Amino acid sequence: MLVRIIKLEVNYDNFQLRVENLQFSPKQVSVIIGPNGAGKSTLLRSLAGLTRLPPGSVFIDGRDLSAVKGGERAALVSYVPQEHTAALNFRVFDFILMGRSGYLGIFSTPSRSDYQKTEEVIAYLGLEALAGRKCLELSSGERRIVLIARALVQDSNLILLDEPTTFLDLKHEMEIISLLKKLAVDRGKTIITSLHSLDLIPRLADFLVMIKNGRILAAGETGEVFRSELLASLFDFPVRVVEAEGQPLLLR
Amino acid sequence: MIGLRRKSLKRKLLIVSAIFLPLLLLVFSLSLGTYAISLNKVLNIILAKLTGLQSALLSGPEANIILNIRLPRLLLALLAGAAFSVSGASLQSLFRNPLVNEYILGVSFGAGFGAAASLVLLSRTFPPQLLAFACGLMAVVLVLLVSEGARNTMIAVLLTGIIVSALFQALLSAIEFMASPYALQSLFFWLLGSFSQATWSDLMWSAPLIVVGLGLLLNLSWRLNVLSLSDDEARSLGLAVKRERILIICLATLITSAVVAIAGIIGWVGLIVPHAVRGLVGSDNRLVLPLSAGFGAGLMLLADDLIRIFSPYEFPVGILTNLVGIPFFLYLIKKSRASWS
Repeated sequence: MLVRIIKLEVNYDNFQLRVENLQFSPKQVSVIIGPNGAGKSTLLRSLAGLTRLPPGSVFIDGRDLSAVKGGERAALVSYVPQEHTAALNFRVFDFILMGRSGYLGIFSTPSRSDYQKTEEVIAYLGLEALAGRKCLELSSGERRIVLIARALVQDSNLILLDEPTTFLDLKHEMEIISLLKKLAVDRGKTIITSLHSLDLIPRLADFLVMIKNGRILAAGETGEVFRSELLASLFDFPVRVVEAEGQPLLLR
Repeated sequence: MIGLRRKSLKRKLLIVSAIFLPLLLLVFSLSLGTYAISLNKVLNIILAKLTGLQSALLSGPEANIILNIRLPRLLLALLAGAAFSVSGASLQSLFRNPLVNEYILGVSFGAGFGAAASLVLLSRTFPPQLLAFACGLMAVVLVLLVSEGARNTMIAVLLTGIIVSALFQALLSAIEFMASPYALQSLFFWLLGSFSQATWSDLMWSAPLIVVGLGLLLNLSWRLNVLSLSDDEARSLGLAVKRERILIICLATLITSAVVAIAGIIGWVGLIVPHAVRGLVGSDNRLVLPLSAGFGAGLMLLADDLIRIFSPYEFPVGILTNLVGIPFFLYLIKKSRASWS
């Protein structure tokens, strides 16, 4: 899943996101970082087709995303929102099953094959113990995994995630990070995610995008872009990247 | 894992009772009334009618009472209960708000005004369902437009619904003012909500609308599940959120208006029944919608039976549902206060 952005412009009340040219390679984990309000979520929502896209601005495997609608788009790209606030208290299994909705006609309900697909994903992620519980009973970490499960059931090759580790404790944070890595390596998924914890970047990101005030500050292989001066100018704060045990380490 | 797919015994029992409870109640209710008719006779008359056999029973007074007076009334009660409950359950999912129902959204009074205007200003032979639907839709659209973008949509929708209802009540009063004294009296009793005046010719228009609308909504149950998530989620899962939402609001308004046009304003059923059903089986609309239809139909019939048994005059069923529904609504508000901030 090659993702290309060409001259994308999205306008909100007082905010403008403009990306001249950006490309994400398939089967890699790409991470988007930047200060609050920089446009990370808007960029992700645009890649998910959730904002009004100018024609010819976002291409997924050569297809103009602005011309792809409904279920077809759902099969192309899935989107994991930052937080799920439910009005109704669904059973976890049924909630994950909702990932199949794009494949269903408006008057249909999930079929045997949709149930099978859901069971496969639940087994792959080892969520059997959660499947029978209610969504509102889940912890924050469990909820994130369930949201990712729903995206996997959707069966798209491109998965977008908005801050999937915010508010998680260390253990759950690491679980999500290794899962994302695994999805790219084992399952060939193209992962694009925004991330709050900078220290996780060297471990997770193949590709790094820095975004500030709605503009791309830098984008490239993590090894090239994850540098003190770029990070410092991104966050307007003096940070330093040093080497420790063969790994880049962030000091602030 | 397989256990998650298997339908539990409780679920099966509930489905079976949602189907048979209203039917049994219907047969029982047919025998009920000031003119007592034995269950045996009721069954024989229905059987004779259904099989098309010529029977002496069909020409008797009992057959006339059962087929032309009681049956249309009871069918209307069944359809009304199912329609209010399903439209309530659908709107609650759509608005992600357990307190919403067709009454709160102003649909009931909008449709009431439309039907009254049609009866008073247009010909009596013109079906009032049409204007009822148009005005019901106008009311709900007005509520949506005004409350859109509010920081607390839950409160905004409730407040706007009250105001829009008041607007249509005022318009109704204007219509009543214009009506002749004779028309005014029938208008007054109709507005209080009652099934007692139901005839086959009323049902001829409303019943097909209700049945088709109900059928479509029941088949939209999975979509309603997904639409209860955030807009972004529903859209990224492949739904055409705006279009599907409009379709569901139109269908819910259609079935509500079709009932209101001939039975008047009967509130709160769409709040009580889905709430009870969700308490029994959880939130999945694939189950909540059909069960609400069945139990709503049964409950409405039961309410009508109680009135026919205990009240010498035709006590309006709309007053009864208000007396039960409003305290229940207050209880729900109190209970859900935590999520209001």
